[in-house]
This record gives sequence, structure tokens and C-alpha cells, in this order.
Amino acid sequence: MSSASPWLLLAFLLPGLAGCRNTPQAKAAEARTVARTRAQEFARRTAYADAHPDTSVALAQWLMPPELNELSGLALTSRGSVLTHDDNVGRVYEIDVKTGILLKSFSLLGNPKGDFEAITVAGEDVYLMESDGKLFKFREGADGKQVPYSTYDTGLAKQCEFEGLTYEPDSSRLLMVCKRFVDKNAAHALLIFRIPLPLGNLSGITTLRVPIEEVVGKNHWKNIRPSDINIEPMTGNYVIVASREKALLVVTPDGDVVRSEELPGEHRQPEGVAVTKDSLLLVSDEANVKPAVITVYRWHPS
Amino acid sequence: MRRLLAYYLILAVIVVILAYLFPDALRRISAKGLGEVSEGPTVLTDALTGGGASNSPFGPGSLADISVTTILILLGALALMLPVTWVYMSARSIPGHNQNVVQTLIILPLVVAGIVFLVQNSLALAFSLAGVVGAVRFRTTLRDTRDLVYIFLSIVIGFAAGVQSLAVGALISIVFNVVLLVTWRYDYGRNVLTPTAASQWAGPLHSLASDTGDHEIPDRDLVLSLTPEKAEALADRFHRVRDVLGTKKKKPRYNSVLTITTDNVSDAQRQVEEVLGRMTKRWALDEVVTNTGKPCEIYYLTKVKKSIPRDVLLTAIHENANGIIESANLETAEMFAEHEGTKG
Repeated sequence: MSSASPWLLLAFLLPGLAGCRNTPQAKAAEARTVARTRAQEFARRTAYADAHPDTSVALAQWLMPPELNELSGLALTSRGSVLTHDDNVGRVYEIDVKTGILLKSFSLLGNPKGDFEAITVAGEDVYLMESDGKLFKFREGADGKQVPYSTYDTGLAKQCEFEGLTYEPDSSRLLMVCKRFVDKNAAHALLIFRIPLPLGNLSGITTLRVPIEEVVGKNHWKNIRPSDINIEPMTGNYVIVASREKALLVVTPDGDVVRSEELPGEHRQPEGVAVTKDSLLLVSDEANVKPAVITVYRWHPS
Repeated sequence: MRRLLAYYLILAVIVVILAYLFPDALRRISAKGLGEVSEGPTVLTDALTGGGASNSPFGPGSLADISVTTILILLGALALMLPVTWVYMSARSIPGHNQNVVQTLIILPLVVAGIVFLVQNSLALAFSLAGVVGAVRFRTTLRDTRDLVYIFLSIVIGFAAGVQSLAVGALISIVFNVVLLVTWRYDYGRNVLTPTAASQWAGPLHSLASDTGDHEIPDRDLVLSLTPEKAEALADRFHRVRDVLGTKKKKPRYNSVLTITTDNVSDAQRQVEEVLGRMTKRWALDEVVTNTGKPCEIYYLTKVKKSIPRDVLLTAIHENANGIIESANLETAEMFAEHEGTKG
């Protein structure tokens, strides 16, 4: 290698490195500028979707950064944004789904590893759930910070493997939807556990069981393996998504199946669902050959 | 050890400078795999306007990001493996090192880093890689079992680089080198009942020194104070002489060693060689050992004629030298064999 070669290498590297010098302030300024433009564009697309009530038309599809490849559950905040998280690490991200800005991220103290499957917001508390039903309770943290947490084992791992969790404000209960029964001989059904808050009252846990035939309806699914549950704000109904079946279900708190259909659009691995107060349906897909995405649709309750 | 410390210090200074100038660049390779959280809002790409999800890179970012990150992690892996190769070449219980292993230690982490960087977060790619690698058979025998540890280390550093956690790789590299150097320096793990090299040589040298007769080594204390390395060198010389004088099937070219001590090497050589030319079948100058503060030694390999006894030859040398030499001694093959026999 001649003496000029190291300088050539440096000349190649420096421009790339210089691009890496993104301070939080610079990123915030860029985000503000982009957010203004995108908010206008989103409003335009929403108006178009309202004029053409076709739920299969997405209003936006936001590509997640690599650290959210294993994107999982969604939870709405009172600010209109959503909280989401990575499957493997206790880290939470806040995203503005109308402008596609990842607003902040914070992690649980010590970055605990686990099989985190769902997230929900209950008042000032945030709950992350592992697939064995173990709950991590904490408060929202500032950007880049770590927050302390406490854990609570629901003891439901003996019955089910879980992927969906939400908070039902009307009854002040957490809802955990069973993805797979531990007992393989158990009858197929949609099973939702209701856990009263504050946590600690195991005897207060009740269940909602909906026969599988009612859930499947006219569809050709053999079974349903729910991957997330959320509350429809206008009606209080349960909105459920199933990853393998690409199913979208709406069930009343009494167990009546209101909707049972395939998800709009194309989804490789839907892991999270949410419906906002301003009638947006959010579906999160884990990375699977393609990057992880959050897709936004117009929600038409029927 | 000083070189190693200096290297790590310089590396640390470079890292500090980089951390100051390009904090994001360093963050992306130093501890990304450990879950470091970046600050500030991030603008996400809209797949509906940005060409769709299918056209978007599924991995660590844009082409520029991937290029810079790849180069940084490869350079990082290289920087961390260099000191390991120095330690490998220096601190070894078996003399010599395998150059192929040294080169492997440099190259392997680069390959591993590249593989891990490609595979991370993709189960499909991991399975594909397993299939491809499964088709290749690696079979080699390493001379020293510790070489395997170096290979493992290079894989670990490659992994650390590949998952963009070079901070872990750096610490592993430093601790590994320090521990290895310390264990090597203090010969850690040696069986205390196993004699050291010095004690192994003490016996033979002592018997050699206390031998009575013509071939007594003049400075007994000097011999016994030899370090193992010097004793090794002396042993090499013994072996060389024995090979010359030994009773092999092939008739030896020489059958005796003439040792001359003198303060005037050039004159003594001229005088002694004149006698050797007359009274031996053949001779060759084997070695001249110059000493400070005591006479120099000249060694000749000689083939003495049967008709000329040892004493006659030595007397002729003394007479011809005319006081230039201090002593002359002739060790014959028979005497050497006799000495070996008494030892055995």
C-alpha cells in the first residue's frame, strides 16, 4: 500500500462520519420541519379516504428503524401518539403515527431482556407484558432515559401463552388475550382474562370465553391465535388482531362478535393493533423479509 | 507489555477523539448491540411515498450508513486483533509460532464480523448461512491447544464487531492479553514437582565441573551460575562436538577437539596451526571464544595420526607457541566415550 492510500481511505471515511454527527437538537429541528409537511399530507390523504370509504387504502405506512425489527404491541397515549416496543428488550418507543416521527425512546432500568409481547397505558402507568403473562409496571420516561419498574406475575402461564394486552378504562381492568392454550386438548375458543387494577388480587381475575365458531364466522380459519387486543374508544369494544390468520375481530365486552374479517391491505406478520379516538386503525407488522412497519388506515366502525 | 500498553493507550486516545468529533459514528459500532438508546426524535420513512416497504433496506440503514458502519466495524475488529497477534507471537510455551495462525487471527474476525453483521436479526439468513457453511469442511490440527483459544477469541471479537458492540470486544481483547501475558510470565499452572530448566541442568553441569582429570572445566562456579538459556547454548555446543566425535557407523571426519587458551589469538593461531599441519591428518578451526578479563579460547577439530600420541602433539604445540599460549588440551573420542560411560 502506497503512502497515499491511508489518506484516500480517510477521505472516503470522513464524509460518512460527518453525516453521523446528528445531535438531538439537529434531529428535533428536522423533525419539526418534516412534521408540518406530513401533517398536511396526512390530512389530505384522510380526506381522500373519507371520500372513498375503502378500508384497504392505507393512509400511511411508516418504516420502523432496525432496533424495532421485532416490533410488537401498540398502546395509545392521551397525547394521540402510540407507544410500542421491541420484542426482546424492555424498551419503549413513542411514535406520532400521523407524521411518522419517532418522538422518543426510553428503556426499563438495566435494559432487561425478555419476550415482551404487548404494551398498554393505564392512567399514568404503563404495562409491558411477557408471553408468560408476567407484567412490568412503570411510568413513562424522558427521551433516552431509563425508568424503574416493578414486576407482577399473573400466574396465568400455566393456562396460556399471551401476546395481547390492553387496559379497559370503563372497568379499570387489564385484558390479556390468550394466544395459545397450554393444554393442547382444550377446546378452541377466544379467551380473554380480565385482571382488576390495582394488581395483586388474583382471585379477582375473570374470563371472557367466546366459542371459536362464533369468532371464525364465515371465514375459513381453523383456529384463531390473537396477537394483540385493544379497545375501540368510541364503543368500548375489543379490537383483536391475529397474526397467522391475518384476522381482524371486534368483540363486545359481553362476548358478541361484531366483526370477523381479514385485515385490510397486505400484512406479513401483524403483531399489534389500535384504534384511535379520531378513527384511525393502526396495525404494526414485525419485520419479516420486509422491514417492520406501522400501517395507518381509516377506521369505519360498522 | 510496554508496547501493548502504549498501543491500547493510543487506541483509547483515538476513540476519545472520535467520540468527541463523531458521537453517532462511535455509538453505532461501540455498544449498539447492548441496547444503547439514541436521543432526539427520528423521522421515519413513509413507505407509501418512499418507494414502498419492499424497496426499503431491511437492515442497518441506508447504503451510506451500511458502508460506513461496515468499514468502522472491520477496522475496529482489526485494531483489536493486532495486539492479540503480538501476544500470540511472543507469549508461547512452545518455541516458534505458526504464521498461518497469526494471519488467521487477523482475517477470521473480519469474516465473522461480516457474517454476523449480515445475519443479525434475520432467522432466515442465519439458516441459510448454516446451510452454506455446512457444505464446507474445516479440519486442521493445531500444534498448541492454546492456539484454539486465540481462534475462539478472534471469533468473539468478530461477533462483537458484527453486532456493533466493539466496546465489549475491546475489553475482552485487553483482559485476554493481560491474563495471557501474566500466566505466561509467571509460568502459571506449572507442576511444582516438575524440575525447572535450571535444576535440570545443575546435575550434569555439576558432575562435569567436579570431574577430575584433563577435561575439568576451569571455572566451576561460572558454569554452575549459568542461566537456563546459557546452559542450553552450552548443551548445543556439547551436542555439536559429540556429533563430530561420536561413534557413528560412518567413520568420523575428526576424532578429537583441541582447546587452546591464549591472550594473543592471532599469533597463537598461526603457531598452533603450523603444528597441526605437520602432525595431524586434518584439522579445522571450530570456534574462537573471546573473553574479557581472562584468556581467549580457540577450539580446533582434529584428526590425529595414530602414530602421534596425544602428549607428543601437546608438547609440540607448547614448544612451537613459545609461551604465547597459556594452556593446550586435547580431548579425544575415546576420552569422551569414557566420560559418557562413567556418567551412565
